[in-house]
Amino acid sequence: MTAAPDTPARPDTGARRLPAPVARVAAHETAAVTFTVNGTETTVEVPPRAHLGDVLRERLGLTGTHLGCEHGVCGMCTVLLDGEAARACLLFAVQCEGAEIVTVEGLGSPDDQHPLQQAFSAHHALQCGFCTPGMLMSSYDLLANAPEEAAENLPEAMSGVLCRCTGYRGILAAVSDVAGTYPDGVPEPRGCAPRMLVGRTSSGAGQAPEDAGTAAPQLTEVRLPSGPPSAVVDVTSPLTSPVDRVWGVLTDFDLLARCLPGARLVESLDEDRHRGRATVALGPVKLSFEGLAQVVERDPDAHRLRFHGQGKDTGGSATSADVVLVASPTPDGGTELTAHADVHLSGRVAQFGRALAGDVSRRLFEQFAAGVDEAAETGSVSEVTLGRRLGLAAGAARDAAVGAVRRTAQRLRARVRRRGDR
Amino acid sequence: MKAAPFAYVRPPTLDDVLAELAGGDGKVLAGGQSLVPVLAMRLGRPATLIDVTAVPELTEHGPTGRSGYRVAAAVRQRVVERDPAAQDVPLIPMAMPFVGHRELRSRGTVCGSLAHADPAAELPAVACCLDAQVEVSGPGGARTVSAQEFVTGAMTTTAGPEDVLTAVTFPTAGPGDGFGFAEIARRHGDFALAGVVCRVHVTGSGAVDSAVLTGFGISDRAVTRDVAALLATGEREEDLRPATIELAAEMVDTGGDTHGSTGYRRRLFAVLAARELARALRRAREGRTTT
Repeated sequence: MTAAPDTPARPDTGARRLPAPVARVAAHETAAVTFTVNGTETTVEVPPRAHLGDVLRERLGLTGTHLGCEHGVCGMCTVLLDGEAARACLLFAVQCEGAEIVTVEGLGSPDDQHPLQQAFSAHHALQCGFCTPGMLMSSYDLLANAPEEAAENLPEAMSGVLCRCTGYRGILAAVSDVAGTYPDGVPEPRGCAPRMLVGRTSSGAGQAPEDAGTAAPQLTEVRLPSGPPSAVVDVTSPLTSPVDRVWGVLTDFDLLARCLPGARLVESLDEDRHRGRATVALGPVKLSFEGLAQVVERDPDAHRLRFHGQGKDTGGSATSADVVLVASPTPDGGTELTAHADVHLSGRVAQFGRALAGDVSRRLFEQFAAGVDEAAETGSVSEVTLGRRLGLAAGAARDAAVGAVRRTAQRLRARVRRRGDR
Repeated sequence: MKAAPFAYVRPPTLDDVLAELAGGDGKVLAGGQSLVPVLAMRLGRPATLIDVTAVPELTEHGPTGRSGYRVAAAVRQRVVERDPAAQDVPLIPMAMPFVGHRELRSRGTVCGSLAHADPAAELPAVACCLDAQVEVSGPGGARTVSAQEFVTGAMTTTAGPEDVLTAVTFPTAGPGDGFGFAEIARRHGDFALAGVVCRVHVTGSGAVDSAVLTGFGISDRAVTRDVAALLATGEREEDLRPATIELAAEMVDTGGDTHGSTGYRRRLFAVLAARELARALRRAREGRTTT
């Protein structure tokens, strides 16, 4: 993986040294991490999942860094990492070995405020003050490292930190004032003299329960939420199989579940209620839903099947859907399968959603239709076909029972991919 | 919001990274600006995070070959943004200010954006428009995939769970090239409701030689089309509009969301496409590339 020899590649020119390798730290172990905070070198023992924001606040007593959303959106936790603004909630402390961190406490002290702090005070750039540490660290980074961006469009350049008091005018006036006073660069942080960092115990500080709600509640009845659905899916797929065979698949819930990538029937409570499991894998997102499907309408003459489905993920995400499947014969002896689904999402998956939810649901239904066609043709759906068809990696089998099948399927998939890439 | 427990390792070599990835339960961590939110929301619970930032060859970036600019996996977006050599790929400085915020670009990586393959992300769209070459290493060895083939769906790529994206090479601009980039988002730094990237190449006489348009935020991935024929319908924005409206009907197939319906995104896309194609053509003819 080296660049062409005639043009030697340059190392990362950011003021970042190459981090030292770290041997594996198990999930429940801690690692000693040494970094400099506001001019003082410190070592903390942290588990891999502890993020820098928590470590600064809970372990080092530096509560000037605030935590808002804890997933990178609000900017409250902005600190300087090796001189550049970064979100402390999107950095694990184990990643910060050898780093130089400056928090708002390092920017200035009550007796010796940084010019930015003085300007925030003079321009009344804070109301409740919650966003102020993030605003200060972000604006320091802007004026120190990218003053041209500040001159070009200050509101956009400062858009990475949110203020819910809507005090933006004062904030922008303060930053603009400092930019004007120091056209050649803002003065260095002035609170970085060596000091004693207040150590705190490591007992569970800032740690969430490890697996809150591991056991998904067992559902016995499907209840659809009221209100408009998160996504509406309408997919029409031409199938080659005749309509009677397609209807045969639609009424065989075990087979039907297998047609949906990542889904499996677990048990049938009665003719109309079926418990199942479905996994959706999208890049780093991996959701495992336990749920129930309940047939509410079955019309053999019109080849129309309507069911309600509901599923819960262990991480607190939930989905439910009102699905109508209709198979109609086509003149060429095939079948047109239409699927209409009102999909409701709740929990974290809904926050993550955007248009993705509908787009992914639609692809799933298209793949489902292809599975129905194959099942109608052959009476089963092969893992290999499923694997090849899937853009969404079929993680159908998170449970050990079918783990072996999955590994085989993955190997086959990998082989197919590699062939495809050549 | 705290991530579920995971093991952490920062291997010294690419081979060690691949060894850690074997088994498929790990995730590659470079900048983590897309991955960590997923972990925080517990939408993903990988067993191990494999930090690739200590592998020396993954921190390289710079010109490669005769007309390429190569960025390896651990190189941060902000480093590329400030690299004078990256100006040779004009779409990089055009698109980079729209990638999240400054505070995210200080940690986020170029290759990470490609590997994450968000359908509304800017850098995968730039890579697809330029048909950048993506280098992937896995248990079967190293391979190079064109960006358009690399992304196969929403947050889904041809890189398997045991693979790592090691680098991407963008083609640099030459004489006769002109580029366009635009996106509309609710707020600066948000994911685009709709965006376009385009590259137009003209011959010495000013005739359109090739033209490629990529849309993002409009489907489950960035969608690329050859638009040389479309540019034959005119050279001003308003002359191109009828053709881009037709193109929007074909290319924009996202279901829409609370931020914008399918129809609204089609309209955005058609307007942006006509405007940026006209600009790119003018820039190509005037030899100004981006302004």
